[in-house]
Amino acid sequence: MTEVSIEGLTKDYGSSLAVNGISVKIADGEFISLLGPSGCGKTTTLKMIAGFEEATAGAIRFDGQDVVNVPAEKRDIGMVFQNYALFPHMTVAQNLAFGLEMRRVSRSDIATRTARVLEMVQLSGYADRYPRQLSGGQQQRVALARALVIEPRILLLDEPLANLDAKLREEMRVFIRDLQKRVGITTVYVTHDQAEAMTMSDRVVVMFGGRIAQHGAPADIYERPVTREVAQFVGQVNILEGRVVSAAADDRMAVETVLGQFAVRGIPAAASGTVTLALRPEAVELAGPGTDGTQATVSASYYSGSLVDYRLTLDNGQTINVQTFPRNRWSAGDRVTIKVDGDRFWPLGASA
Amino acid sequence: MSKPLLTGYCLIIYAFLLLPILVVVGASFNAGAFLTFPPQGLSFRWYVVFFNNDVFMRAIRTSLWVAAVSTIISGVIGTMAAMFYIQHSGRWKESVRLAMLLPLLLPEVLTAISLLFFVYSIGIGTKTIAAMIIGHVLITLPFVFINVSAAMESYDPSWSLAARSLGAGPFTRFRRIMLPLIKPGVIGGCLFAFIISFDIFTISFMLKNIGTATLPIQLYDYLRTNFTPEAAAVSTVSIVLTLAVVIISEKVLGLRIHRF
Repeated sequence: MTEVSIEGLTKDYGSSLAVNGISVKIADGEFISLLGPSGCGKTTTLKMIAGFEEATAGAIRFDGQDVVNVPAEKRDIGMVFQNYALFPHMTVAQNLAFGLEMRRVSRSDIATRTARVLEMVQLSGYADRYPRQLSGGQQQRVALARALVIEPRILLLDEPLANLDAKLREEMRVFIRDLQKRVGITTVYVTHDQAEAMTMSDRVVVMFGGRIAQHGAPADIYERPVTREVAQFVGQVNILEGRVVSAAADDRMAVETVLGQFAVRGIPAAASGTVTLALRPEAVELAGPGTDGTQATVSASYYSGSLVDYRLTLDNGQTINVQTFPRNRWSAGDRVTIKVDGDRFWPLGASA
Repeated sequence: MSKPLLTGYCLIIYAFLLLPILVVVGASFNAGAFLTFPPQGLSFRWYVVFFNNDVFMRAIRTSLWVAAVSTIISGVIGTMAAMFYIQHSGRWKESVRLAMLLPLLLPEVLTAISLLFFVYSIGIGTKTIAAMIIGHVLITLPFVFINVSAAMESYDPSWSLAARSLGAGPFTRFRRIMLPLIKPGVIGGCLFAFIISFDIFTISFMLKNIGTATLPIQLYDYLRTNFTPEAAAVSTVSIVLTLAVVIISEKVLGLRIHRF
């Protein structure tokens, strides 16, 4: 199995820097996601790891060995494409056999390995079908099987679920993650879907404009985003201005906001003046009017079954988004009280 | 247009296109000594004359040989050009296409004369059949290019990338993935090339060396002094040959488009 180390990786297209000196280490067997909006350089990074794009500068090492000058066909990678890229003139079995034939695996070994992997992706009865005879989800699993059957050093996935419908996408998330754990293969997953990145990955690398904005465990990224951009990209967030009042206990600072004064973590002790705070909608609790807390008016509510989203207007006109379980229901025009735990605020640095 | 009217219109067009051919085929079975229609009695005598005519037999062999060689050369160059055009020509795409189609846009006689000067100025001359083959390749190349680039339009480049990631080098990628998927275009283009090369007159006439003649040239020569049904027999044989090439390629190589 393989450890991947990327150092100062850069791709310069002449007119633009698609990837601007990114460095990241991927541990053996780790599942890492490159997350970001389109044009952030995540796909270009993946293509450079695969060897489809030449790096302008920097190093890509598989187990310490620099592969920058190794052509794609010799890098021993398994790749799953957004449109699956199954060979339409070959059956499922022939698609799977292709990579093994390139490795001069004997005919009988090809048969056993192909059968074993097809069973792993639950497509045992489909060996003789052509790709066009399969559904999108099945084609996706064949693509996965074709990438895994060669037992590559690393698995690369380029937005593999983008063409599936919502229900199937959720099933495939779990399916891919389980399979990856079972095989124990180092995996790089490219997506612009934050929910996909969070649920599947050991670690998420958030990219903006060719640079890494933040990387860490999904909970780190979500609960402790470093910039406003990251906070907004990985979910809904309320951005509030606060004024540092004084130092509080346990490395906290007392901050005055429109929702009241709170002891907030993560603010440097030297800080003074204003700070920008992130507050996730589900961190806010609502109670009936007149109780202890900030008063607000419900301006809209969106019921989605397991959760309800509210848009509230504070008395000073500012908007706060709140997400709660549908225990108490309020509708537009109702007065409510906002309650927040100071621990749920997180200070944001200036955007890079 | 109403349906019966449209059907009638199409039938008239077909009749206009096909009747002369039927007349020629009919005239070839003429028992009389002159090229007339309707035939005066039915007979195979002019076929016997034709198959015993060394000059015509040599011309047919020359035509088939020139067509085969030109088709192979055009097939290879045209396919490579189409691959470049679709995958790499970038912002020069339109210019590349125009350049490839130029031989179709220029009058053939102009191409023929320019080529004649060209082959003499570079020292090939017309002593060998090379000059004629160069001319035939030039004329048939656009047909291969058009057909293959049309097939390449529906070729997804990520198929090549997938093959690469699975360990296939450039030659294997072409042979195992791209070629099977663009095959209908390649075969279609080569068929066009073969049939057109078999039919070319002006270029062959200008660039032939003394003593060799392709079938169209021989036929022209013959008709200048003779007017027997043998000419119709020759035409009929070449029609049958052309049809045979189309049908055999379709059956053996498969012209059916892959449905994805």
